[in-house]
Amino acid sequence: MREPMNVAVLLSAGHHPVSGRACPVPVEMQAIGLGNALGAEMTGLHAGPASETIADALGHGLARLVHLKIGEADDPLASLIAALGTEKSALVLAGRVGQGGEDSGLLPYALARALGLPVVPDASALREGPEPSTLLVEQALPRGARRRLMVRLPALVTVHPAAPAPLPFAYAARRRGVVEERAGIASPRGERAIEERAYRPRPKLIAKSAAGASAAERLKAATEAASGGGRVLVDPPPEEAAREILAHLRDIGVLRG
Amino acid sequence: MSRLRRDPRSERSRHRVEGAARPRFDLAAAPSGLHGRARRDPRAEFRLAQVPGTARLRLDRTQRVAALDLAPAARAPEPQAGPRLVAIPEPAFLVAAVPDAPGGRLTPHDRQLLGAARLLADAGGGAVLVLAGAPADELARAGADRVLALPVTGYDPEARAMALQAVLAGLDIRHVLLPESPEGGDLARRLAALTGEPLFAGAESLTARAVTRPAAGRRTEQRMVPPRLLTLAADAAAAHAGTLHEALEVAFAFPPLPPGAILSADDVPADPSRVPLAEADFVVSAGNGITDFASFHDLVEALHATPGASRVVCDAGLMPRAAQVGASGTVLEARCYFALGIAGAPQHLQGVARCEHVVAVNTDLHAAMIERAGLAVVADAQKVMPALLSLLAEKAADAETHDAGAGESEAEAVDA
Repeated sequence: MREPMNVAVLLSAGHHPVSGRACPVPVEMQAIGLGNALGAEMTGLHAGPASETIADALGHGLARLVHLKIGEADDPLASLIAALGTEKSALVLAGRVGQGGEDSGLLPYALARALGLPVVPDASALREGPEPSTLLVEQALPRGARRRLMVRLPALVTVHPAAPAPLPFAYAARRRGVVEERAGIASPRGERAIEERAYRPRPKLIAKSAAGASAAERLKAATEAASGGGRVLVDPPPEEAAREILAHLRDIGVLRG
Repeated sequence: MSRLRRDPRSERSRHRVEGAARPRFDLAAAPSGLHGRARRDPRAEFRLAQVPGTARLRLDRTQRVAALDLAPAARAPEPQAGPRLVAIPEPAFLVAAVPDAPGGRLTPHDRQLLGAARLLADAGGGAVLVLAGAPADELARAGADRVLALPVTGYDPEARAMALQAVLAGLDIRHVLLPESPEGGDLARRLAALTGEPLFAGAESLTARAVTRPAAGRRTEQRMVPPRLLTLAADAAAAHAGTLHEALEVAFAFPPLPPGAILSADDVPADPSRVPLAEADFVVSAGNGITDFASFHDLVEALHATPGASRVVCDAGLMPRAAQVGASGTVLEARCYFALGIAGAPQHLQGVARCEHVVAVNTDLHAAMIERAGLAVVADAQKVMPALLSLLAEKAADAETHDAGAGESEAEAVDA
């Protein structure tokens, strides 16, 4: 029987996409579920100003949460590096893009760089590896494909929304959980020449010929092939049609073998 | 509103019968001069609108056939000028684009990335450097001036990031663009962490002077002059079109790359029967021309595809509603769509609009799906399906005997 692993989950100050109110980030709750499935000792880590909703993560199956108190304008990176240095976690789990900041998704990578950890992105399932201090990660790829990776621990793994659904919120678990509050490290963000304004949704690209045309023409542009007409076989024998179709499918690379 | 004034005398003189001693006028006959509108002949129009080569009557009222018949034969077809080749021998700087190019093919997002790189390069006399391996003609059409493949095989993103860092340090690169896709986004963040440069992630609009991205839960928009390292969201920039570029290979000496922390990586292909339709890569779809659904399901399984259906078939309860493709069903993102017995209502074609390749089998030559398809077969889908199934079974049997033969020869080699 191996000793339970120490796993740290990075939690961010999420916002509901519709109402804009503070709420936990779903993919981070899924990360808690993945850690629990490993039978690990879980610790939540959050660096930010005081917030009521951070502790809601305790209701989704987390037993302990460390809240590093820093100011509104501080960068959480320095506090997290210091905290993870003392926690000695074998595995650090994070969402793909943390919320509450710039939403650039850069923090896990900067953190891993500072701690010397490898990053494995987009995990949808985790298992213990065949050897001690290895981990089997199932990575979610586009179009439903998966990749099985074996990594040496310690490592930082980001979680994909395709991971199993998180445990539902339980108020008793939320009351039972322990929140440890510590002072973080104040490190003001560097100034960047970025202008900020209210968000304006940009129109998605549509076919050029259709822009400003009538509704019928826009529909035509939306439904027609981008690249001209194709090859037409009129009334071939079924065998020849089948051969041509299979050859074409093999040409475009969708048919295996 | 003004009409031409009538001239009754000249109108009457046009009806004059020539050659008589005293003036005679035949008012019933058509005027001799070609004045006014020619008289329509609806029967001739009907004849011309008939599409030849079909068993049942079909009229092409757009008069394309008629126009072709009436067009003067002497007019030679205009020579098709190919796209103009643009060479940039001495670029002022380089704009690097790192497309995902899964399997050596550019995705639509990759083409948009190259279009954005082209825009940044053309603003200052620069050249686009593509850091991926793909066919040269495909890259030339997408707008690549220089090509350099990264020397990384298999899944090792950290090594790719280090190779990119080496290229950034060794060449005069003003901007590096990556797609905001799972793989490209990951690589961009690794590169940002390696080099310590700020990353402008998920740009939604891009010009040579300004680039914007959403931040803080899409409540604020950040805007700045294009920085060195940025990732581009999908459908944010137009793909390059019009000119052809050189796509010249660039020589670069990469430093030796250390092995990463990933001990092994195996790709597990998606199980097509479990993949949701919206994510599926290859969809085979049944329409009103299909009656034998048992062999349709066999065909779907033999092709390793995800089953889809048209609205008619789902309404009839022959396929589940979740399989419906179209405006009221699922809008596909598939690479290939194989339509069996589907004519292609506009609502159905909307669901197929983002598919890269379409193959159609339909009895109607003039169906919209036939026009949309890259390969269209005008035949009965019910007859093509068994032919496809038997051909696939033959191929599978061949592959099995081949594998068995290879296994035996290996065993012999071991024995020897």
